[in-house]
Order: sequence, then C-alpha cells, then structure tokens
Amino acid sequence: MQQIELGHYLALSSVIFGLGAFGFLVRRNVLVQLMSIELMLNSVNLMLVGCNRFLPDNHAGQVFAFFVIAVAAAEASVGLAIVISLFRLKKTVHSDQADSLRH
Amino acid sequence: MAEKALLGIVLFPLLGAIAIGLFGRRAGRSAVHSIAVLSVAASFGLALLAFAELLRMRLDQGKELAAISFTAYEWFTLTWNQRPIGVPVRFVMDALSGVMTLVITGIGLLIHIYSTGYMSEEPSYARFFAYLNLFTGSMLILVLGSNLPLMFVGWEGVGLCSYLLIGFWYENTSYAAAGRKAFVANRIGDFGVLLGMLLLAVASNSFELSAINAVAEQRPNVFTGAFSLGPRGMPYWVVPGISFGTVATLLLFLGCTGKSAQLPLYVWLPDAMAGPTPVSALIHAATMVTAGVYLICRLSPVFALAPVTMALITTLGALTALLGASVGLVQNQLKKILAYSTVSQLGFMFAAVGCGAFAAGFMHVYTHAFFKACLFLGAGSVMHAVGAHGDADIRQLGGLRRYMPLTRATFLVSCCAIAGVPLFSGFFSKDEIFVGALSAGSYFSFAPWLGHAVFAALVLAATMTAFYMFRLYFLTFSGEYRGGPVHEAELGHEHVAHEPHESPASITVPLIILGVGAVVAGYVWIGIAHFEPWVTWLAPALGSIGAEHPHNAALIALASGLAAAAVGIGLATLFYYRKSDAPERLATQFRGVHRLLLDAWRVDQLYDRTILAVSRFLARASNVLDVYVIDVLTTVLPTQIVRAVSFLFTRMQTGLVHAYGAVMAFGLLALVLHFVVPHGDPEIIGDPQGMKVELSASAGLGYEYRWDFDSDGTFDTPWSADRNATRDFTDADFVRFAVVFEGASYGAHPRTLTVAPKESLPVSASAVTRALTSAQISADEFGPNWQHGEDNRLPQINADQDGLLITPRGARVRKDGTLQASEKPVRVARGESVTIGFARLTVSGYARPRVQVRNVFGIQRTQSVGVVVPKVARRLTAQVAAARAGVP
Repeated sequence: MQQIELGHYLALSSVIFGLGAFGFLVRRNVLVQLMSIELMLNSVNLMLVGCNRFLPDNHAGQVFAFFVIAVAAAEASVGLAIVISLFRLKKTVHSDQADSLRH
Repeated sequence: MAEKALLGIVLFPLLGAIAIGLFGRRAGRSAVHSIAVLSVAASFGLALLAFAELLRMRLDQGKELAAISFTAYEWFTLTWNQRPIGVPVRFVMDALSGVMTLVITGIGLLIHIYSTGYMSEEPSYARFFAYLNLFTGSMLILVLGSNLPLMFVGWEGVGLCSYLLIGFWYENTSYAAAGRKAFVANRIGDFGVLLGMLLLAVASNSFELSAINAVAEQRPNVFTGAFSLGPRGMPYWVVPGISFGTVATLLLFLGCTGKSAQLPLYVWLPDAMAGPTPVSALIHAATMVTAGVYLICRLSPVFALAPVTMALITTLGALTALLGASVGLVQNQLKKILAYSTVSQLGFMFAAVGCGAFAAGFMHVYTHAFFKACLFLGAGSVMHAVGAHGDADIRQLGGLRRYMPLTRATFLVSCCAIAGVPLFSGFFSKDEIFVGALSAGSYFSFAPWLGHAVFAALVLAATMTAFYMFRLYFLTFSGEYRGGPVHEAELGHEHVAHEPHESPASITVPLIILGVGAVVAGYVWIGIAHFEPWVTWLAPALGSIGAEHPHNAALIALASGLAAAAVGIGLATLFYYRKSDAPERLATQFRGVHRLLLDAWRVDQLYDRTILAVSRFLARASNVLDVYVIDVLTTVLPTQIVRAVSFLFTRMQTGLVHAYGAVMAFGLLALVLHFVVPHGDPEIIGDPQGMKVELSASAGLGYEYRWDFDSDGTFDTPWSADRNATRDFTDADFVRFAVVFEGASYGAHPRTLTVAPKESLPVSASAVTRALTSAQISADEFGPNWQHGEDNRLPQINADQDGLLITPRGARVRKDGTLQASEKPVRVARGESVTIGFARLTVSGYARPRVQVRNVFGIQRTQSVGVVVPKVARRLTAQVAAARAGVP
C-alpha cells in the first residue's frame, strides 16, 4: 500500500483551496460565499497540520491551525450577522444587490 | 577705535530707522525726532572722528593710500574658475569715501533738524523719519562698502527709500506714480550695475573695489583686451573690437544714468518733487543722485581705461547739462526749476568725470551738496511761509525779502554759488570742470575735438544756469508780494493773501549753516592752512588719464566762467529786476520753442509713445499668452485630464464583492509568479581596479548562483550561495570592443559604443542621426577644422581581432600626438586612444559576464551585464585646453 506523502497533503489542500476560491468568485449567494471562505481556511489548516506531520519535533503548524479555527469561528459569526442584516435590509442574500457603497 | 567707528557710522541711522519704524507710532513726536536726529548726529560725530584719524594717518604716512577699514564678517563666497571670491561685510574709509561720508552725515543731519520743523504738522511723522534714517543709512552703506555687492545693497537701499519717500503722500495717486517712476527708472539702471559688477569680478577675480582698481593699474590689459566670456584660456564668446573694460563700464554707467538722473534715465528726478521738500533736498544734495558720480570716481582707474565709455559719459553729461538748464529757463514752479537745475548740475559732474577730471567732478558733488541743499530747504522755507503745498508758482510770489530776510540771504548766497560768482564755492568746482574739459583733448584719440565741444556746451549751460537761478531769485524775493498760491478751497471765492512770515529756528539754523557752507566749501580746492589741496588729497583714491593742462586752459576757463556768470546774471537782472517786458516778447516770438521747453522737450511724451507703448503692448500680449496658452496648459488641460482619468477609475468601482475578490486573486497570482521566478539582475560594484571587476547579483530566498565570465556558454564557477563574484578579466573574456568617445564640445559627456571584431563603427555626417540615436558618431562632434581639406569623406572605423583600424581619409587623426597619414589605417589596440579633430576615442574591452540563478523550486534563469575594462578616465578641462592649445 502506498504511503501518504507530503505531496498528497499539499495537492489535496491546493485543490480544496482552489474550489473555495472559485466558489467565492463565481457564486452570488452570500451564504455559499461564506462557506467557500470556510473551505479556503480549512484547506490551509489541512496544509498546516499535514506539513507538521513530517516535523514531529515541532508543533507550530498544529498551533497555528488552532488559531485559524478560532479566527474562522469569529469570522463566521460576524459574517452571518452581516448576512442577516443584509437580508433584513434588502430582502435578499445575493451579493450582486449589496452594492450600495457604489451607488 | 576709528575702525569700530565705521561700523557705528553705518549702524546708528539703520538702528534709528528700525526703532522708529517699529515703535515710532506709539512713542510720540518728540521721541521720534530725538531718535532720528540723535542717531544721525552720532553718525556724523563718529564720521568726524574717523576722518580726523584719516587726516592723522595721511600726515604720518605721506601720500600712501591711507584708509581705515573694518571687517564685520564674511558674508558669502562665490566660486569662479575654481577660485573662491569672498565677499565680506567690510567698511572702508579713504580720501574719497571720507569726504562723501561727511557730506552725507553732515547735510543729512541738517536736513533731519530742518524736517523736525518743516514736517511738524505731518500725521505720519514717525514713518517719515524712519524712511529718512533708512535713506541715510543705505547711502552710508553704499559709500563705505568695500566691495561691489555690499555697495549694491546700499545702491538698492537708496532706490527703495527714494521710492518710499517720493511717494510719501501716496494717497495722491500722481505722487504715488512719481514714486513708481523713480523706482522703475532706477531698476533699469540697476540691472546694468549688477551685470557690470559681475563682469568686473570675473575679470579681476575679486569684488573688492581696491582689488579691482589694483588690477586696472597693474594689469590694464585685463580691461583693455577684447571682450570675452568663458573659462580662462578657452572663452566661448569673444567680441573683437570692443574691450572688456568698455562693456563693464558701459553697464555700470547705465546704472549711473538711472541713479544720478542722466540722459536717458533722468526723467524720474523732476517728478521726484512729489515727495516732501526735505526729501528733495536729501535726494538732490546728500544722497542718491551723487551715487553715480561716486561710483565712477570710486572705479576711476577702470573707467580711465575705457575711453569709449568716457566719451559717452562726457557727451551725455554735457547734453544733460544743456537739457536741464534749458528747461529751467522757462519753468514757473519753484521746486521744478530746482529739480531741473539738479539734472543740469549732475550733467556738469558727469561731463567732468567723463573727461577724466575726476577730482573736479567730485568737487562739484561736494560743493553742489551745500548750495543745492540750501536752495531746496530755502524753497521749503518759502513754501512753508506762504502756505503752499507740493510746489509754489513763482509768478504768485515776490517781495519776500522783506518778510523772510534769513531765508532770502541764504538763498541769494546759494544762487551766487550755483551761478559761479567768484569766491563762492560753485565757482571753484565749475572752473575746474572747464579746465578738465579743455584738457581732455588727446585722451579721446578718436575725437580730439570732444573736450572742446563739451567745454562749449558747459559754458552755454553755465550761462543759462546763472540766468534761471537769478530769474528764480528775483521773481521770489524782489519786487512786491503777489498774493501767494491760490488754494483749491478758495476757488470761486475771493483770494485772501496770507501774510508771509519767517520760518522757525529749526528751519533757519540749517539754512544759515548751509549758506555758510555754500560760500566757504570751495576753498578746500586750494587747501586751507596746512591741509592739502583737494587734488592731492584725493589723488591716491582716484585714477588718472594722464592729461596735461594746456598752458592757457586755466585762463580760458576762468574768463569763460566769469563771462557766463556775468551774462546770465546780467540778463536776469535786466529782465526780472528791472521789470522788462522782454521775457513775454521773447516767449510770444519763439512760441514753439517756449512751449517745447515748458514741456521739458516732451521727453516724457516721447518715452510714452515709444518705449512705454511697446511695453504696454508686450504686457497685453503676455496677458493673452498667460490666459489662453499658459493657463490652458497648466490648469485647464491638467484638470480635464485628471477628471477624465478619474472618471475611468470610478467605473472600476463596481461595488460588487466578487469583482473585488477577482482583482485580489489575480494580484496574488502575479505576486506568487514573481517569487517563483528567480531574479539575478547582475551589476558592477564600485569602480573596476584595472581589469579586476567586482560583480554582484540580487539576493533572494534560497538563491544559488553560478557565473560565466567569458560568455562561452560553460559556467566558470560552481553553484554557490554567495551572490558576489570577482573576476580579473583577460583578453579572452572580451566579446566586443568598447569605444569611449568624448566629443569636442566643452562639457560634453563621454559615451560608450561597442563594436564586434569584423564589424565597423558608423560615422555619420549629420547631427540629426546623433540626436536620434547615441549609438553613432557624427562628424560635427569632431569640432572645427577636423579635416585637412574640404570634402565629403568621413573617417572609417573598422574592428578586427586585435583592435580598431581607423582610416583617416582626410581627417586629422593623431595618435600619441603625431598626425597620421591620410589613407593608411591606424591601429588602435585595447587601452590605446587617438584623437580625431578635437574629439578623443579610447578603446577598451567589452565583456558580457552571465549569471545563472536558481531558487528553491529549482527554476533557473540566466541574465548578463556589460563590463567595460579598463575604465576610461574622463579628460580634465586642463587637458582639453592643452590639446586645443597644441592645435594650430
């Protein structure tokens, strides 16, 4: 059976990051965009812990992943609060219509 | 002690001006005039002290140039021709500036005292005295300054103060206009002074007046040589036929015509009566207008070397004397007659100094100061007495001798002095001016008759002077009082004649002192007691034209001077004392001439139609240019561009989150790409040492480098983390030849061209291709006379394996200083150089070392840099000069 190498971790996290970035750019539903952001954050987490697996004496990657999880939680709560406010204001969750800064 | 006194002489009036200017309005009148009079009195006292010291030094040291000097500090330093020219704040009192200082402070003091009485009802009392003190202080800087820039400070200072004081009653627009006119006329002259003094400094490498005069005396060819500008040894502008001294002195003289009211810039002086009468006295007697004569006397050794300028000075002086006197004949305004008389008397002074009679001209400055101050102050006293404001019409005066005996006596004495009545001061100076004009003969080798022509003009002017001064005297003081000036308020009402009255002591005491001066001042010419006569006293400070007095000059001058005074006074007595109707008859008979003289030759109108019309046209044209071209280019167009661009950028702000996200994503992608590709960017550090060159590539994360110095494709060093490399280049490393080409024009920067073996370097005939591409040499860069003959052939520059082969084909090609044959190729190997015409061509090696960089991703990149060794040092100016000197 084949060993899981660093390259596999990196490839997987890159693919997830790419999906997240693509989703953020092309979807117009704010909720989906938030989920895409979560996807990107977690792909980075995967890369951090994956790298850390090959440096057993060092825990920086794992510790950093915890930080990212904490920041992501805060971001998600604030982001959802904004989405709720947007829905109350515009009766929609489409980012296209949240352009009052421009007009 | 006496040295420090010089500083005090200058500082007291200036400090007084500052104190009065800042605090005068609140301090009250008595404080203001106490400060003003005391500061000038202190200055006068110190001037006497310093002058006494100067006299003592002269007695001790004999005829050597005795001078007291005080250096306050170093003001600034200029560099010219790699040599520093220091400009210190230094004051020097010698024979010339000593006399001048006494005149300025002495007469200035009397005018200050007079003003306390004359201006007693003026609301802007403090402002007046602040200006008056500043005027005196500026004039003292002008006179005592030891160098031209310091003198120029005073020169501009008196210009400014004259503007402020002539326009003192600026509520009256015509007075304010007179002030502006004085300022502008003076500015025109000042530009000449500025250029002239820079030329003198360039020629003598110093701004110090004494140093410039020493150069004129010891190395006169500096000033008599052809006019040229540019670095020593290789001037870029030479004007044959005109001497350097002529140009410099002409420019200085332009300044003198402005400051000292000579043709063509005299027009401001008659208008300067707009100022209060004491100001007129100050301007006409003690300060300002004497500055021009003083400057010429100060630099007399330089002026003496420029006969062309001197001829112009004396001619314009004589013409100004005639013009001023002729206008004075018919004027009816009291101060206007005196103003034109000043113009005329200044003409006498310039006619004298122009003939090389510097001592005589300066003597007239000195005597004129007394009698003209006395005349103006007397006129002021008269106006004060009859209640006239601005000016008084002498046809409405008369009979004043009964009411104001003191004023009348001093006025009469001064009239005698200016008319040249024997034994009065003006007689001595005028006599010597005549002698000077008669002696000029051989000095003007191109026009030996000039001195005699000037003499004739001056005698005529002197006759007219005697006439108009006594006309003025008789109309004002003799006969019956004709009722005084009619005030505007009385128009339409019956005129009430005020009883004239003698002026208060503050006015009459200065008049008496000046009147005494007007009598006795002239005796310094012959010397009193054990004092030296005027000429010997001034001799060390003045230049000389080495003229001999013709043996009968003194007699002719004396006879014509006496005749002029007698005829002038006699005619005036006949016409105006005896109450003849001849003046009216003459005026009606020669109506045109009379009108012309009354309008002062209509010079103002002439200037208005010509110079001012052109100037106004230029002003309008510049306004159009400013509004429709410059404003459009600098404000309208840029704002429209900014607006258009900002419109484009606002379109980019969509307000859509995903659009911003996309931009950010692409930006990140570009950054990532930049960091993934390695950047070597090799460069040379420092100057090559011989063939040894230190090279360096850029640093980066995990970069490794290897070098290929001879660009043969194989790398000479192994992979290494060190980004620096040193290489001692050998002939095998070079891929091309570097040709460093230095053009012939002065200051041209050398440029480096490269040529590979078996190629050739193009030489073009026209300058246009050079402007388009610097990768070519064009024939005009070789300088003048680069060919033996005149044909269309250009030198050929080819390269082979060992260096350049230059075929001159008619060009003057030199190698190691020897001229090469025309059709034989000249070999120029690496490190050698040749000259083509005045240009130089040096061959060096050109290598193109490459560096390969790889980063952590294993991506590799190769970049290269050009290296020219050995480095060619730039030629020094001296070498260029030597190369030029060696070429016929």
